[in-house]
Amino acid sequence: MTERSTVICGLPGSGKTTFLAALWHLITAREIDTALRFGSLRNGDSAHLNAIASRWRNAEAQERTAVGSLRLVSMNLVAGDDSPMRLTFPDLSGEAYRRMWEERDCDADVADVLIAGQGVILFIHADEIQAPLWVVDVTDLTRRMGLPVEEGQEIPWSPRLAPTQVQLVEFLQLLRSPALDVRAQRLAVMLSAWDKVASEGRTPETFLNERLPLLDQYLRSGAGRWDWRTYGVSAQGGDFATDAETLRAKDRPSTRIQVVAGTQESHDLTEPLAWLMG
Amino acid sequence: MADDNSKVTCANPECRVGETGKCVEGLVLSECPHYGSAQESAEGIEGIEDQADTGRREAITLPSGELLSVKEAASLLRRGEARVIALIGPTEAGKTTLVASLYDLFQRGPVDDFQFRRSETLYAFERGCHEARAASQRATPHTKRTPIGSGVGFFHLGLCGAKDVALEVVLSDRAGEEYRAAGDDPSVARDFTEVLRADVLTMLVDGERLLDLGARHNVRSEVEMTLQALLDGDVLSEGQRLAVVLTKADLIEESAQRDRANADFTRLAENVRRLFGSVFRTIEPFQVAASPSTTIVPRGYGLSDLLGFWTAPTTIVPARVLPLRLPARAMERIQAVRDE
Repeated sequence: MTERSTVICGLPGSGKTTFLAALWHLITAREIDTALRFGSLRNGDSAHLNAIASRWRNAEAQERTAVGSLRLVSMNLVAGDDSPMRLTFPDLSGEAYRRMWEERDCDADVADVLIAGQGVILFIHADEIQAPLWVVDVTDLTRRMGLPVEEGQEIPWSPRLAPTQVQLVEFLQLLRSPALDVRAQRLAVMLSAWDKVASEGRTPETFLNERLPLLDQYLRSGAGRWDWRTYGVSAQGGDFATDAETLRAKDRPSTRIQVVAGTQESHDLTEPLAWLMG
Repeated sequence: MADDNSKVTCANPECRVGETGKCVEGLVLSECPHYGSAQESAEGIEGIEDQADTGRREAITLPSGELLSVKEAASLLRRGEARVIALIGPTEAGKTTLVASLYDLFQRGPVDDFQFRRSETLYAFERGCHEARAASQRATPHTKRTPIGSGVGFFHLGLCGAKDVALEVVLSDRAGEEYRAAGDDPSVARDFTEVLRADVLTMLVDGERLLDLGARHNVRSEVEMTLQALLDGDVLSEGQRLAVVLTKADLIEESAQRDRANADFTRLAENVRRLFGSVFRTIEPFQVAASPSTTIVPRGYGLSDLLGFWTAPTTIVPARVLPLRLPARAMERIQAVRDE
């Protein structure tokens, strides 16, 4: 059996654990055809995956991954050519990645995982992008709305205030820095919570270009030597706060999953993985 | 990690709240579900590798993302096509604002023919942009002054131009007081490595001071004296280009003194051409509003033209060819070849 590993990364709350939960359900439930199929439960305990998949099926939000824990989960899968593979993922807190931007260092164990990964999945919460708003634009808008412009309590600079796209570009640059120099060439950019932005009518590529232009320019320039694809992903299938009953009512929970690549839609979360491992 | 005797504890073994008073997850302490609890065992769930409790290895230090030193900038320049831009001007002329705003334009997409490729100073850029960003909660944009005595540092922008040509641009950042000091004593300029190595010198003229009737003549004098100090300090190189940049064009545009200030700037640029035209390969005037406080002109007004000037092809200064003096007699010519 071929041993493969993929790095799942993203800032806190970007949907990494929800992805793993939905993926484990999709593979084990075998409700729809997928690019990578269930192999077996041998050589491992699936307690964590079963626990998060159970919450997912119940349409309950996942608990935040504890900071500092480095949890590796493995799945025995079968590829399209019937070859077996064991795919390992780290289930790491987003704080581990944020630390790289804010504190400019990386836990040695996390570095090992990043360096060993054969592919990188980068999660971005499509509905929680921190954009670089300018004072002059906000002030102008306030005036045009007829509201008074007031000096607020000035907030001192903190790296956490940096726009989402800057933190992500820096993360990808750091993966390529001599300190880490990861081996992965392929990168899947996963725009999570796609259901919340799908009504805007953009393809994932257009969304990246318009909402995260710095990241888009970085990737297109080839400076990071990434072979990359962009996906829109709704692993939850909706908002658990408002749509939980509708989601639970589905006879085949796998159909809650939405994966958008270009103009194509499917429920197959393994398709980006199959490409990454290709 | 809080020690056993500490009253302040956290269930998360990574959290050092006992030492720092801060939650590692960035939460208010009263909202942190782990705060105040005994430390959890990092024992993993069976079958899952949980390595939190294993022997700690030292964290790997990553590149700082801060301004580059002269050595770091030199190393970057060796990697390919590059331009060094020396930004010169008095305090508050807007040197750091200009660079930070140019970077911020790329946050919204390509600037003319140029696309962002990469940057080794994103952290420094972000700090420089903060007070012009809504996240600062300011009502008017601002940029922190470069502290005196910090020497020179370099911002870095890796760009991709027309025809996908990669270009590394490094932009100097030095306190205005140090350039002013060179006007009093040109020997100070000998430490200005950024000027010596620059492809383009960019002399900033403070538009706000040009509007001030009391300051306008001194503005012109300071520009000329600073350039003279660079010349007399022997830090100018052959083939360099000079951009004379009027900053804060938004304030001029809004002012009743607009025509007078614009005429002053035109005269100033003409004088610079007259006095230093033989020193620089080209001298061009520009007007910018890097971070306007109103929407009378867009943020970054004029920067794309300046970027075009900065990134224009450099001229390779031909090596000086010494005249060949051949001896008149054939035997002497042979002897000369033997001697070589």
